[in-house]
Amino acid sequence: MPDIKDIGVLLAEAESAISMANSPDDLEAISIKYLGRKGQITAVLRSLKEVPIDQRKELGAATNKARVKLEQELKEAAEKFSKGDKKANFDPTLPGVSHRIGAIHPITKVLKQVNQSFERMGFEIAKGPEIESDYYNFEGLNFPPDHPARDMQDTFYVEGDMLLRTHTSPVQVRTLKNSKPPVKIIAPGKNFRNEAISSRAYYTFYQIEGFLVDEGVSMADLKGVLNAFCRDFFGEGLKLRYRPSFFPFTEPSAEVDITCFLCGSKGCRLCKHTGWLEILGCGMIDPNVLENADYDSEKYTGFAFGMGIERVTMLKYMIDDIRLFYNNDIRFIRQFI
Amino acid sequence: MKAPYSWIKELVDISISPEELADRLSLCGAEADAKPFLEGNFDNVVIGSVVELEPIENSDHLRKAIVDDGHEKFQVVCGAPNVAKGQKIILAKIGAELKGGFKIKQAKLRGIESFGMICSETELGISDDHSGIMVLDDDASLGENPIEYLKLNDTILHLDLTPNRPDLLSLIGVARDISCLFDTKIIRPQFEVKESAETADEYIKVSIDDPDACPRYAARVIKNIKIGPSPWWIKRKLLLSGVRPISNIVDITNLVMLEMGHPLHAFDYDFLGSKEIVVRRALNKEKFTTLDNKEHELTPDVLLITNGEKAVAAAGVMGGLNSEVQATTSTVLLEAAYFNPVTIRKSKNILGINSESSHRFERGADPNIVCQVLDRAASLMAEYAGSEILSGIVDCYPNTIEPAKLTLRPERVNALMGTNISKERMIKILEGIEFGVKDKGTLEVVVPTFTADVTREVDLIEEIIRIEGFNSVPESIHNSGPLFTPRHADDNFYDSSRNVMTSLGFDEMYSPGMADAKLLSKVSGDEPQLKVLNPIADDLTVMHNSLFYSLLKAVSHNISHRNVNLQLFDMGRIYLPGNPPYEEEKIGLTVTGKADDHWYNKGRIFDFYDLKGAVDSFLRLSHILPIDYIPTKHFSLDDSCSFELQLNNKTIGYAGQIKQKIAKQFDVKQNVFAAMLDFRLLLESIQPESIFKSLPRFPAAPRDLAVIVDETVEVGSLMDEISQSGGLLLEKVELFDLFTGTQVGYGKKSIAFSMIYRSWEKSLESDEISKIHKNIADNLNKKFKAQIREA
Repeated sequence: MPDIKDIGVLLAEAESAISMANSPDDLEAISIKYLGRKGQITAVLRSLKEVPIDQRKELGAATNKARVKLEQELKEAAEKFSKGDKKANFDPTLPGVSHRIGAIHPITKVLKQVNQSFERMGFEIAKGPEIESDYYNFEGLNFPPDHPARDMQDTFYVEGDMLLRTHTSPVQVRTLKNSKPPVKIIAPGKNFRNEAISSRAYYTFYQIEGFLVDEGVSMADLKGVLNAFCRDFFGEGLKLRYRPSFFPFTEPSAEVDITCFLCGSKGCRLCKHTGWLEILGCGMIDPNVLENADYDSEKYTGFAFGMGIERVTMLKYMIDDIRLFYNNDIRFIRQFI
Repeated sequence: MKAPYSWIKELVDISISPEELADRLSLCGAEADAKPFLEGNFDNVVIGSVVELEPIENSDHLRKAIVDDGHEKFQVVCGAPNVAKGQKIILAKIGAELKGGFKIKQAKLRGIESFGMICSETELGISDDHSGIMVLDDDASLGENPIEYLKLNDTILHLDLTPNRPDLLSLIGVARDISCLFDTKIIRPQFEVKESAETADEYIKVSIDDPDACPRYAARVIKNIKIGPSPWWIKRKLLLSGVRPISNIVDITNLVMLEMGHPLHAFDYDFLGSKEIVVRRALNKEKFTTLDNKEHELTPDVLLITNGEKAVAAAGVMGGLNSEVQATTSTVLLEAAYFNPVTIRKSKNILGINSESSHRFERGADPNIVCQVLDRAASLMAEYAGSEILSGIVDCYPNTIEPAKLTLRPERVNALMGTNISKERMIKILEGIEFGVKDKGTLEVVVPTFTADVTREVDLIEEIIRIEGFNSVPESIHNSGPLFTPRHADDNFYDSSRNVMTSLGFDEMYSPGMADAKLLSKVSGDEPQLKVLNPIADDLTVMHNSLFYSLLKAVSHNISHRNVNLQLFDMGRIYLPGNPPYEEEKIGLTVTGKADDHWYNKGRIFDFYDLKGAVDSFLRLSHILPIDYIPTKHFSLDDSCSFELQLNNKTIGYAGQIKQKIAKQFDVKQNVFAAMLDFRLLLESIQPESIFKSLPRFPAAPRDLAVIVDETVEVGSLMDEISQSGGLLLEKVELFDLFTGTQVGYGKKSIAFSMIYRSWEKSLESDEISKIHKNIADNLNKKFKAQIREA
């Protein structure tokens, strides 16, 4: 006994056959198959009298509706063929039905890649507030008040005796205070610096900070992790160079350069003809920072590193203006789909 | 810091190129870049002599000069006030290419042909002094290359120094590191001080009110000075170092500062007005005029050098106008002092002056070098200003600052660095940078007072490794730490939210976070704003308190670049004042314009339902239960389309159409729909993953129901009623058609639902379904006066 569901199935079958038809003969065959004297829809209509009376009306209406629809579609398809263009309904060069997919911001893209690289090395993601106290942003990180080191980071102050963090290093102080070694953390996040806006500088930027504190951690371990990361992120075959530098929260401190991937370190515009690209800062965590978090700095040592995300994003995609990250022009963002 | 290569070579015997030297220094803690002092092509620049000079008619300053270069005579028009007949000058002939690509061509001025140019320091790139032409000494030979004659074909090492390296703020300091790197000795300048019988202490007495701020103040008195220009060798060193020569006395203080790193100051003794120096803190609101002729109002944070009454210098920052050395000066009080770094830092911040002197003192000068510095300067003054050095140094140094003594454990160096440096090598390095070392198993290290930053064992380790180089550190893997790293729910939700939003067609934007206070209040009304106390610009004075602001900014930017169809989302924070101020994580989304047109489908104009659909899909894909849209009043949203979003009666955000008058503030004239959801509240609302539900064993029975109701009846209430009346056997109800028009009548609308009936226990009989279906229809009719349409 026919069911109302069967009508839907028959209709769908017939419609897909029409769309595949290559000639009026095909259409004729479809017509016979479904609507002819022995056609399947005709058969349902004929069998209506066997259907219980309460269902008959509903099934009858649905079947008739399907018949009318099919007749109409067969007629339309036949018209296309009669215009002489046998394939009029099929042009494989037409673009496919598109689904709008949004684009991920390039900073998200790079952050994700960097996070994953370190997560695979066993680092855990930690986060912290962007509105910070002087203690977490500076003092706890061994920036004494009234020290020229504070000039290295132009700070925005806000009401309530707070500031906008100038780096993600406050997460280091916060995490160390609340954890027991070994501590192995990366802290990605947004920061602010009071710098004049230009193509090379913007007042907000993303940074990823990483650190490992345990017994017996050495500078060699730091090199192990950073070399592994750089090879993973920038590609095999590049060389790294560690130059002594200064950050109040690490001692000794270093800046890391990689060989320029654009020119293969021959010297070009990207690397300002030095062959090297500066990409991050690092060092052994200063004993004062560890002591501030109540760690015995004789027993525990650690390393820390920080990398500007905009900078590596600009290098990776050869973006020449940092402001593009924040004016949210879709002509820019949609390039990173 | 600019270190001329030729000057370095005077102090330390090396044979590598300046470029190699810069690379080497960069790898030991002094980022260096070697650049030629002068740029340009000096092939056509020669020493000449002005043999004739006559005025030009109709010009008050131009003159016609005839210059002889020893081979040829050139007619040159010159406008410099100091040009005179008989002078040896620098002639740039036609074809010369000077600083900044300035090419010398034949020219005609006031009708007079000119075949070159007589140069000032500016055109040659020596300094920015263009007050007159450069006049050479008489011994300069005609036709010679003046750059070689002046010894200016030098390379400058530009050092970008970190604040922990005050020891490199002198040529001797730079030479010290180089001597250690190349295992050679520093060649210190030799000098002799010949004092007269008269003693300095008859001229001056020094007292210090605040020995913490000024631990040491020393002075010499120098008499019978003849102020005049410095000899070329002094001028040359200053010019190469980027310091403008002024007069012999001032130049010598600068030269000694560059050479030895310690700032000096020369006072005109006769203008001091007393025979004493008192170092004291400024009074509140005390006025003082620095030698750059700027008057300052002071606070006690400023340390002053006074004559007992009035201030004559802002200690360590800048001298006073009232006691400045002048052309008439004959007696000088030469100061070399040591000031506390924090004192100078506060002082210079209040004065708003960054001087070479304050730069050195705030990083830490050497208290124990002051007498040598005075002697070096005095000996030069005796030689080059014809002066007489009075006997003795008046030195007020109440508490001697002793060099620090530290213990260094060689094994600690290697443990912290992961290296294998021998103890002998460590000693060699430390001695190479002039630290005292005694080997007693561990090393007893005496830290010279010129390295202010070395106070702990770890600082000594830094000194060793920067000389040894980080290349000596091997690469290793630290095998400890947790076996398993947790990943936090919020990180997962951030990731999944971004994936979902992009899959729904939204582009991700990043709101920068700062806002124009006035414009922000147009968006969020009286919502309190967190003020930035030192804003970067007048239109960035507060933090945004609503993502609607930043969404509108982005919409506005894109529309102004003719991208009018936008779907954007932002996973940003908003910032609010409070005690303490706080931030909230939000998800903002906006739709405006229309969907893209396609050949098979014309894009529809976005409306509220596109926003709602996106929000609902986002929540569903994030495993968050459906929310209710409760009409509400919201400052940013149009009353006709403004909703509070409720999840289990808790507000999780707002959605609707941005008021047109707000959008207009951003030059946006099209409809903008936006929502702002609270990230943390949503995170808490994520449902645990549901367990498997077995597939139905009995068939589904689909039925349609079409009704006509008054236009004011809400579809939501009809659907609620259907669900309720349908009971357990109604599995699903969906709206599939909605229209108004003449066939349904004015003020009416036709709504069609498709329903699925199913039982989990048996196959439903047709009449059973019809009964429920009819009951639903009856209830709709009763409660909403719904007319049932026959299929």
